Amino acid sequence: MKVTRNIFMWVSLLALWSCENVLDLKPLDKLDSETLFSDPEGVKLYLANLYYQTPIEDFTYFFNGFNINTGDPNNSGIAPAIQTDEAIGSEFAGLSPWGSGDFAWWDQGYKLIRDVNLLIEAVPTLNISDNEKKVLLGEGSFIRSFAYFALAKRYGGVPLITSPQEYGGDVEALKVPRSTEKETWDFILQEADVAIENLPESFAGGERRATKWAAYALKSRAALHAASLAKFWDKSPLSGTAVDQKLVGLDASEADRYYLACIEASEAIMDSKRFNLYQSSPASPQEAAENYRRLFEDPNKALEEVIFIKGYALPGTGTGHNYDIWYNPNQTSNGWPHPGRMNPTLELVDSYESYSNPGESSPIVTTLDGMVGDDNGFDRNKSYKRFSVENPYQLFEDKDARLWGTVILPGTTWKDKRIIIQGGYVLPDGSAKIETKESVTHNGMTYHTYGAPDWTQYSGFDTHAGNMTRTGFGFKKFLQLDDNVTPSWNQSTTDWIAFRYAEILLNHAEAVLESNYTADDARSKAEKSLNSIRRRAAHTVDIPLTLDNVLRERKIELAFENKRYWDLVRRREYHLLFNNATKHALVPLLDLRVEPAQYIFVRREVSRGTPLTFPPQYYYKPIPGIGSNGLVQNPQY
Amino acid sequence: MKYLKFGLMALTMVASGILSSCELDNYDGPDATLQGSFIDGETQELVQQDIIRGTMVKIIEHGYDPVAPQYIRAQPEGTYVDKMLFPNTYTIQPERGNFVQVEPQEIVIKGETTLDFVVTPYIRVKEASIAKVGDKILATFKLQQNVPNNVGRIGLYVHPEPIVGEPIRTIASEMAINAVVDPEQTFTLEIDVPSNSSRLEAGKQYFFRIGALIDVPEAKFNYAPSVRLGI
Repeated sequence: MKVTRNIFMWVSLLALWSCENVLDLKPLDKLDSETLFSDPEGVKLYLANLYYQTPIEDFTYFFNGFNINTGDPNNSGIAPAIQTDEAIGSEFAGLSPWGSGDFAWWDQGYKLIRDVNLLIEAVPTLNISDNEKKVLLGEGSFIRSFAYFALAKRYGGVPLITSPQEYGGDVEALKVPRSTEKETWDFILQEADVAIENLPESFAGGERRATKWAAYALKSRAALHAASLAKFWDKSPLSGTAVDQKLVGLDASEADRYYLACIEASEAIMDSKRFNLYQSSPASPQEAAENYRRLFEDPNKALEEVIFIKGYALPGTGTGHNYDIWYNPNQTSNGWPHPGRMNPTLELVDSYESYSNPGESSPIVTTLDGMVGDDNGFDRNKSYKRFSVENPYQLFEDKDARLWGTVILPGTTWKDKRIIIQGGYVLPDGSAKIETKESVTHNGMTYHTYGAPDWTQYSGFDTHAGNMTRTGFGFKKFLQLDDNVTPSWNQSTTDWIAFRYAEILLNHAEAVLESNYTADDARSKAEKSLNSIRRRAAHTVDIPLTLDNVLRERKIELAFENKRYWDLVRRREYHLLFNNATKHALVPLLDLRVEPAQYIFVRREVSRGTPLTFPPQYYYKPIPGIGSNGLVQNPQY
Repeated sequence: MKYLKFGLMALTMVASGILSSCELDNYDGPDATLQGSFIDGETQELVQQDIIRGTMVKIIEHGYDPVAPQYIRAQPEGTYVDKMLFPNTYTIQPERGNFVQVEPQEIVIKGETTLDFVVTPYIRVKEASIAKVGDKILATFKLQQNVPNNVGRIGLYVHPEPIVGEPIRTIASEMAINAVVDPEQTFTLEIDVPSNSSRLEAGKQYFFRIGALIDVPEAKFNYAPSVRLGI
């Protein structure tokens, strides 16, 4: 009893003594904002994290979100391109394409916005020069504009929160209702203006921080997006409470105002004469193809065109990316088990112009009768064009250099290997063996359906491990040519071009045409831009400024830069393009009916594809957490 | 002794847990049924529908705030049914359909409840005929429109399943109209079997359906009943 009583006494003494401050202890592993912001190096550290969180749709952006480069980021390499008409996955059509969860960004958006608000609020109190304060405010506004742009693209009008919220015990006070879509886009452009006003043209040390030009570029892109939503709403109108309250939907009368904002922001960049197209006058299409490929292989060599780079300096989890392992053709995978995931479609390849027929898309003609409408597959009674086994790619020789710089064509060389893409062969009796692993001996030679005996020696059509292209095209844009692939996660360190001059020119041209803008010579500027982009791709014949020409140019020039997805959304073309849509392939077959054997090509649907439909409600994503945040949900969710 | 004491304590704790939760909050499951038809006010026939991306019947349960609307989809032949609803009073209104919008109404759903909607379809497909003529499937029909908007487009849709429609089709043969139609005009749509050889297998049975879409925001297709043919 005595022991118990003593214990009780000591315990209560201790408790009473330390009772007071136990909940007020400061954590030893965190800094409070005062300490962090009081040191300029602390501010830079914080800012670096804000840039990390900025929703730049780059090499680590996939259907499951941003910054997918930690641990084992196994998402089959399903990038936005695979959910558009640019490409199909070697195994998946896009999982649950455009599932409402795809490309979502809500919680992370508001986390970034809060972090930026904290910085913007702290800047006036910092012990730094006025000029430095100006730059920080500019960067904060740039990041905030970027963040709200990412939210508005996905959700329409969203709650506009411009200062960090404090929790005073009342949850209801924290709930901010959605602003209208118009208010949201106006805020995005306004913030971009603040950034433009405060940011320097460059940083002395060459640091990759937002500049005035990056802010103009952001404004050009965002304004074009808003203008398109206003102009094309009626192509797929929606109804419901969110529409009635104007939380989604921009009135057509707003379009020209936003187009003008795009034009002015673009012209600020164009008139500064600071930027130019990289290697704008190539001597030949071959040179142009190589220049185009190099631009993306190392943007640091093309600083005349590049406006804003997001760098990947170190390989490793959280700092590298995975484009080289996901997308190299099977033959150059160097032991990595999941290559070959990005398969450019025949639809995309058809879009590129031919040098001898400028101003139009040039679909690949595989038969002597010149027709391209039949996608039913091999027909023994058709007269196919034939190509030597040494250069089957002769079929594409007249096509735009950017095709050659973006796509690996069958039989071309990549990383010193001849890339063999073959779907099968046609036996001397006229029957075909397609997409089945077989071999045959004919006239003393052995032929294999996929072009070589072992799966490590070819890169097309075999379903082996999902490593082969099923469209007949490989992918090379952004990939490193010289080094062997490092067969491990997160090893790529290619830098991403967030904004480049060619996009600004294309934004400008589209805005000028869509708004019938004729002031200060804009149309002739736009026509010059259109043709300078083509001249960089070795075209020698100029084409007129028409909407078709500008949109085709945009599709080709910006292919795989994560633009197509949003272009289809903002112009309300997604639901028209994707209504039970199938994607198509170009299948090379070795024709053994002739001696020596020659290649023929067959246009047909991609095997194991799924018809895809984009329902109109997917133009806006569902807002998560409606039960607790009390917001009005988007239509039909 | 120690163990007995411990055992008794444990038993008391467990028993008090079980006994205190004796009153189970067992509500009945959703066992009420709501069913009905879409009836053409003039012809008294059922109004054909799409089973996906078609007319939806929106019901909003009373007594909750906020409340998420529930949707019941239409069946291709023009009926709808949901057998797992909680009995309550609801506000009901078909939405985004292929007929002129009807007003919302209140309904008490309990046991087996039936509610038909008498509607005016945007378009009636009349004198529909689908037949195999040589190598082609030929569809002829007339259209009677009941609203002044343009007819947007018409189509002949094929699929191995009877739920064929514009959203569910292997092949579509469509024509843009973008005009008000004359009820006496005969439309013809055809599907050539040999040029679709990779998708239509000769000798198999397929379902064919004629559809027309009015140019009204979020409107759905109006149809004639699907027809099964061997090709």
